[in-house]
Amino acid sequence: MVKIFVVDNGGQWTHREWRTLRDLNVETKIVPNTISFDELVREDINGLVLSGGAPRIGLDGTLGNTDEILKKANFPILGICAGHQYIARFFGGEAKPAEKPEFGKIQLIILKEDAIFEGVPKKSIVWESHNDEVTKLPSSFICLAKSESCKIQAMKHKNKPFYGFQFHPEVEHTEYGELIFENFVKLCKL
Amino acid sequence: MFKADRFIEETIENLKKEISGKALIAFSGGVDSTVCAALVNKAIGKNLVAVHVDTGYMRKNESSDVKKLMQRMDLNFRFVDASKEFYGALKGVTEPEKKRKIIGEKFIRVFEKVAKEEKIQYLVQGTIAPDWIESGGELRDTIKSHHNVGGLPKDMKLKLVEPLRDLYKDEVRAVARELKLEVSERQPFPGPGLAVRILGEASPERVEVVRDACFIVEDEIDKAVKAGIMEHPWQYFAVLLPVRSVGVHGDRRAYGDVIAVRSVESLDAMTCNYSGIPHDVLDKISTRITNTLKEKVNRVVYDITNKPPGTVEWE
Repeated sequence: MVKIFVVDNGGQWTHREWRTLRDLNVETKIVPNTISFDELVREDINGLVLSGGAPRIGLDGTLGNTDEILKKANFPILGICAGHQYIARFFGGEAKPAEKPEFGKIQLIILKEDAIFEGVPKKSIVWESHNDEVTKLPSSFICLAKSESCKIQAMKHKNKPFYGFQFHPEVEHTEYGELIFENFVKLCKL
Repeated sequence: MFKADRFIEETIENLKKEISGKALIAFSGGVDSTVCAALVNKAIGKNLVAVHVDTGYMRKNESSDVKKLMQRMDLNFRFVDASKEFYGALKGVTEPEKKRKIIGEKFIRVFEKVAKEEKIQYLVQGTIAPDWIESGGELRDTIKSHHNVGGLPKDMKLKLVEPLRDLYKDEVRAVARELKLEVSERQPFPGPGLAVRILGEASPERVEVVRDACFIVEDEIDKAVKAGIMEHPWQYFAVLLPVRSVGVHGDRRAYGDVIAVRSVESLDAMTCNYSGIPHDVLDKISTRITNTLKEKVNRVVYDITNKPPGTVEWE
C-alpha cells in the first residue's frame, strides 16, 4: 500500500486532502508541520502533501520544519496553495499578495503536458481560495498551468518530483481533482 | 474508500470501551445526531439518554416532529423547552460570533442540568469534520464557531464523545442508509437554528418571520421536486436581512424587510455552488412570501454566491 502523509499548515481543506487520499486507498495521516525529516524517513512514506493555510502563511517566516524536508526529500511532494507558495519561496522564487485574488470557480488552463495532468483536458474547472500567489517562478521550476488572473497555477521542479498548485485539487467542486490526486499517487509509486 | 458497514462495526466496539455507565446525547433530530444516537444506542442501549432542546429557533413543527422521531427510535429521551431562556440570552445580540457562543453555552447548561439529575458523565455530540475545521484553533483560522465545538464553555466538565468527527455529511448519510434511518436524506440544519438565519437581533418576532419564510422555501421546492421540475437541492432556506426597502402595496407606500433565498449544491459543505432553481419556482416562492408575510416582507432576493467566497449560512 502506498503511504502519503499530509502536512497540516492550518488549511480549511487539509482534512479533504486526507480524505481524497484515503478514498484512493492510500495509507495516510495528517501530521503537524513541525514533523522532522527523520520521522518521515522512519515512517517510510512514498510521498507528501503540503496543505494550504490561513492567509499569509506562505508569504513570510518559516513553515514549521518544511525547510528541512524540502532540502532532504527525494520522495514526491505536492504543495497546495500556501504550501505551493512556500515551495516557490524556498527555491528562490517569490510569493506576494495577488493583484486579483481568486475565490471559488475558475478556469484552469494547462500550458504544458505532464504526468500530473494525465487525462485532464487543457481547460477545466478548478476551485480557488487565495489572497496571495507565486509572482516569480524559481529558476529550477517550470510553469505547468495558469488562469486568467494568476500566471502560475501549477509548477514543477525540473529535476525533483516536487509540484506546486495554487488551485485546490482536493475539493469536490474541482472537476478533475480526484484524477489529479490519482496521478500524484502514481508518481509516488514509482 | 469509506465503508459504512465497517465504520459502524468499529465505532460500536470503540464506544463500548469509551463509555462506562450512562451517556447523554444532544439530539437535534438531524442526520448527524440521529446517526450518533443509533450507534451509541447499539453500544450501550438504555444507558443512553437523548435530550432534545427546543431553542425557540427550530423550524415549523420541527421539535414536535423530533419528539415523535425519538419515540419511533425507541430512545430513552428527555424533551426540554428552553425557548424563553434562549430568547432572553440573545436579546440585543447582533454579532454573529457572539450569538453562536451564547447558544453553545446555553445548550451545555441545559445538558449539564439533565446530566446532574441522571448522574451522567458523558456528552455525545454528532460533531462532523466541517464543524471543527471551521471552528479553527492553533494554525487554523476561525471561519465560524460551531456551537458544538468553538461555542463550548471552557468550564464544561462533561466528557465529550464524538464518533463522527472525521466524517463529512455524505459519509454520515451513507452510515444512516446502512442503519436504515428515516432521516438519512434530511437537509442539513445548523445547531444554532434560525438564530443564524436572522441577521441582526434574533428576536421572537423576527423568528416568526424567518420561520414562515423558511417553510415557504422548503414547501415550494419540495412541491417542484415532486412535480419533476427540479432535483432536490443539497440545502435550501430563507434568510431575514437587517435592511428594509421601499415597496408599494395597493397604491400605498410599503417599507418592509428583505428575505434572501439561499439554495446550494454540495457533497460535504466544504465547497458549494448556488443552485439553479427554475424561474417559475423562484416566482412562486417570491409571490407566496411577500403575500403571506405582507405586513413584514416586501422584497425577496436570490443569493447567487458560491463557497468560497461565501459560506452556506449567512452567519
